[in-house]
Amino acid sequence: MVNDPTAKTLAELGVADASGVVRLFDGVKEQFAADVERATQWEELRNAWLGRKAGVLTRVAENWLKPAKPELKRPVGQSLNELKAYVEAALEARRAALEAAADQAALAREREDLSLPGVVRPVGSRHPLRQTFEEIERIFLSLGYSVVAGPEMEAPYYNFEALNIPEHHPARDNMDTFYMATPSGAAPLLLRTHTSPMQVRAMEQRQPPVRIIVPGKVYRRDNPDATHGFMFHQIEGLAVDTDITFCDFRGTVEYFVHQFLGPKVKTRLRPSYFPFTEPSVEVDATCVFCDGKGCPVCKQSGWIELFGAGMVDPAVYGFVNYDPKRYSGFAFGLGVERLTQLKYNINDLQLYFQNDVRFLRQFA
Amino acid sequence: MIVPASKEAGYSIGDCSRDRTEQTRRKSMKVLYNWLKEFVDLTATPEDLRARLSLSGTAVEALEETVVGPMLDAELTSNRADCLGHYGIAREAAALYGLPLNPVDPRPRESSEQASTATRVQIDSPELCGRYTARVLRGVKVGPSPSWLRQRLEALGQTSINNVVDATNYVMLELGHPLHAFDMDLLDERRVVVRRARAGEKMRTLDGVERALTKEICVIADATRAVAIAGVMGGADSEIRSSSRNILLESAWFDPISIRRTSKALGLRTEASVRFERGADPEMAETASRRCAELIQQLGGGELLAGVVDVYPGRSETPVIALTRHEFLRVMGADVPDSEIEAALSGLGFAPARSDFMRGAAGSLSAMWTCRRPSWRGDVTREVDLIEEVSRIYGVDRFPARLPPAKLPAERLEYAEADDRLRDLLIGLGYQEIITIPIVDEASDALFRSMASPSPDSAARIANPLAEDASVMRSSGAVTMARTLEWNLNHGQRDVRLFEFGKKYGWRGNEPLETRVLTLGATGLAREKGIAETEREYVFADLKGDVDQIGNLAGGIVWGGPGGPEWLQPAQSGAVFLQVPHAATRPHGLIGFAGQVSRRISERFKLRQDAYIAELELDPLDAGYKAARAALRYKPISRFPAVERDFSLVLAEGARFAAVEEAIRSVGIAEISSIDAVDLFRAKNLPAGKFSMLVRVTFESHEATLTEAQLTDFSSRILAALEQKLGAALRA
Repeated sequence: MVNDPTAKTLAELGVADASGVVRLFDGVKEQFAADVERATQWEELRNAWLGRKAGVLTRVAENWLKPAKPELKRPVGQSLNELKAYVEAALEARRAALEAAADQAALAREREDLSLPGVVRPVGSRHPLRQTFEEIERIFLSLGYSVVAGPEMEAPYYNFEALNIPEHHPARDNMDTFYMATPSGAAPLLLRTHTSPMQVRAMEQRQPPVRIIVPGKVYRRDNPDATHGFMFHQIEGLAVDTDITFCDFRGTVEYFVHQFLGPKVKTRLRPSYFPFTEPSVEVDATCVFCDGKGCPVCKQSGWIELFGAGMVDPAVYGFVNYDPKRYSGFAFGLGVERLTQLKYNINDLQLYFQNDVRFLRQFA
Repeated sequence: MIVPASKEAGYSIGDCSRDRTEQTRRKSMKVLYNWLKEFVDLTATPEDLRARLSLSGTAVEALEETVVGPMLDAELTSNRADCLGHYGIAREAAALYGLPLNPVDPRPRESSEQASTATRVQIDSPELCGRYTARVLRGVKVGPSPSWLRQRLEALGQTSINNVVDATNYVMLELGHPLHAFDMDLLDERRVVVRRARAGEKMRTLDGVERALTKEICVIADATRAVAIAGVMGGADSEIRSSSRNILLESAWFDPISIRRTSKALGLRTEASVRFERGADPEMAETASRRCAELIQQLGGGELLAGVVDVYPGRSETPVIALTRHEFLRVMGADVPDSEIEAALSGLGFAPARSDFMRGAAGSLSAMWTCRRPSWRGDVTREVDLIEEVSRIYGVDRFPARLPPAKLPAERLEYAEADDRLRDLLIGLGYQEIITIPIVDEASDALFRSMASPSPDSAARIANPLAEDASVMRSSGAVTMARTLEWNLNHGQRDVRLFEFGKKYGWRGNEPLETRVLTLGATGLAREKGIAETEREYVFADLKGDVDQIGNLAGGIVWGGPGGPEWLQPAQSGAVFLQVPHAATRPHGLIGFAGQVSRRISERFKLRQDAYIAELELDPLDAGYKAARAALRYKPISRFPAVERDFSLVLAEGARFAAVEEAIRSVGIAEISSIDAVDLFRAKNLPAGKFSMLVRVTFESHEATLTEAQLTDFSSRILAALEQKLGAALRA
């Protein structure tokens, strides 16, 4: 400011009345407006105007107010206060504007690209068959069934005889069963062909009421393909008591199917034959892929076969010293691979046991 | 006639889980609708018949149209020998629809000469043959069958041979009873002896195969030699040919177990053997013979000698079985009206008669029906079998659903909770669960068997494996883990972390062993490159850290060695011991091994990158888990800040962190809360044979904030101990 009026006193500027004061202050205001326009740094602008030592307002107070004649003190003081309030407000507004602009720039610069991936810490997964095991276990635990486990290398007695499958029965054929090579002197052993042997073992160990499920691996001497494996998984179920009837069996089956496949799925029982149940049935469900309307999976029948079951054959009670006139019960054998496949539409049994991580990850 | 293996029926996948069904080997039986109508006045459509049969135990898998009308393809369970003919299926249909079944009582024209003057039958082994009937026809003209007969046979998958053989097959399909026709002029002395085959005896069967016989096998012989394998297949030497004129017609009953053994021993399963091994109807033998004689006469003329030569050592009384409503309700839980019970049993031939004192009172709770078991239902022997018969004809699907009340608390497996915690931990650590088939090949298994201490004395081998590459139950979970790593690497999946809860198998002396094991496997990257992270290979320390975390659930583990199994690299592996051994663990608490797999294993399984496997026994982990949970108590948290001090130590090559830790602990400073190794250097500026380890010690007091003076004192005492015990110095 070449010709800075604030460096001079009012007397030096020749201002002697109130109107002169007002004009003078108007000039300073104009100057402020011009400075605000030009300013790039808010701090500098503030120091130039409000700086305690060399700020414009300080100079006004020093040079205009302090030496002013008594009659001008009042108008000068008033104008100065007004000016100060104006400058402070204007500076604050300017500061806010500048900060907003800076924030805006920073936001534009620093904004996260939400389409970029986050840091993913790898998490593993349960095998789909495990999930089925756990789900079935939960359902039957809620019905009061305890879980028991037994050996896979089993005595023929438990796998066959005690289940009313005598020696000449077709199931005893080599074509069905793997037998273990046993050390000389050891009792014969086979790989259990079903989880049913634990029915007998469990009943040998306890008196009714019995309510158990038996999850586990079973083995069949079958050439593997998309629908057959020489190892698969079963969950055997057994309920024996003084008052268990076919109706209880049916209710249990329906409860299970509704829990596992959904409340809309209907069940149907068809007579069948198993040596260790009498009467024996196959449990069918309305096809989960077409809601029973008919599709290639259910061969247009609307029904799919779920598992075999029935009332425990009294002959089996004879092997465990239960009184067949006093006790009755039912047994069922759930195929875990099949039930899993119905849930996730898995079309090849081999997938379960190849354990390709691209398959496993889908069940995380 | 070899029967094709029964077709797989039903849903295309997961037949593997038709467990019980597959155990009982169904037999496919094709049934012509129009043939059934000859025995029962069916008005229902074939579709309706199909549905009714399927819901009553005769699964009809298909319904197709043939030149001789609609054909049902039924799958029969092994207990229903009576349904292996049209008449048996007609009886089922009659019972289902409440229709009468026409009786079968053929009356062929007979000559005055008695059959017994023309031939003789002698049963030397009545334990194998319960009945043998022979009829004799003379002057039969053997030739082609008429088209109606050929068409029916061909529709059912039978090849037409000549009118006489076709007649026997036709009657088998009609009445379910197998018959055999001999050229009588080719039988020495024109007579029949039923006996066991002699040691070394041989015979050529109809299929042209020379069969070596044993004394377990029942044969039909003439005066000198075997001419048929009883109930299985006739002999080539006495078969009906175009020149045959005189016929001996066999209709017999053979012991099911004997037929089954013979069929298995010879690998010969025929339409006849399938029927006899399921238990044919001994009474039907004579009726079927009459029916067949009638048909042969009709087709080829000739003279039927009067009567039948009938040797029937196995004749038995008709058993009587009672059915009570009380038992019916006890088993089924819901009632069926008297009329339905009686209709079902009558329709099936059980001739029920009310025999209780309340006779005549409908719906009586004390109702009892006395039933006579018909000769064709050898499978029905008990009251419960009658209950099943009534239920299936009435409809098992008609019984209501009810949920029984639970009376006992449900218990999980004792190790279920520990397994859950371990599984959750591993999933959190990024491992995926696998389930493998534990049957492996001998060579692979042998590579992992050297895992000496926890492995049993000898491998669990299968006596009758399907193939050499699946002949032994794995001796270690590592076998199938290595295979699974191989599978994934071969399929382009190189960053893999896996775990399996399974078993390893073997023998200890005469005791079979199944030991639950947890197997871990890892290869590739521990961390993938990302925007915020650098990539890093999975290394031994990753496996060690993960195994340590597993161990922490079971009260902690300690690592030991050397002496690991051969399948692990000695430099990058260790033995794993439980810190607190339990009764379930082996001596010293050894529970398994962990490390990088050896080069030999890598080569064998084509693992082209470093791979790591750990195998830990689960029972000790479970015991450790339970003990650790039981012992878990809250430890007070200090109100005063903990202070860390880092020591950059220069140590002699070979010095172990455990020694450093022990030296520091030996100072006896109670305020030490942890000692960690946080870095290792092997820098050039260190003296030869030395390396540097950065050790971080954390101090914490429960009484007061530690002062600078105290910390300085701790540090100098630690350094003094390290120098004295390990010659360690601070890095300059």
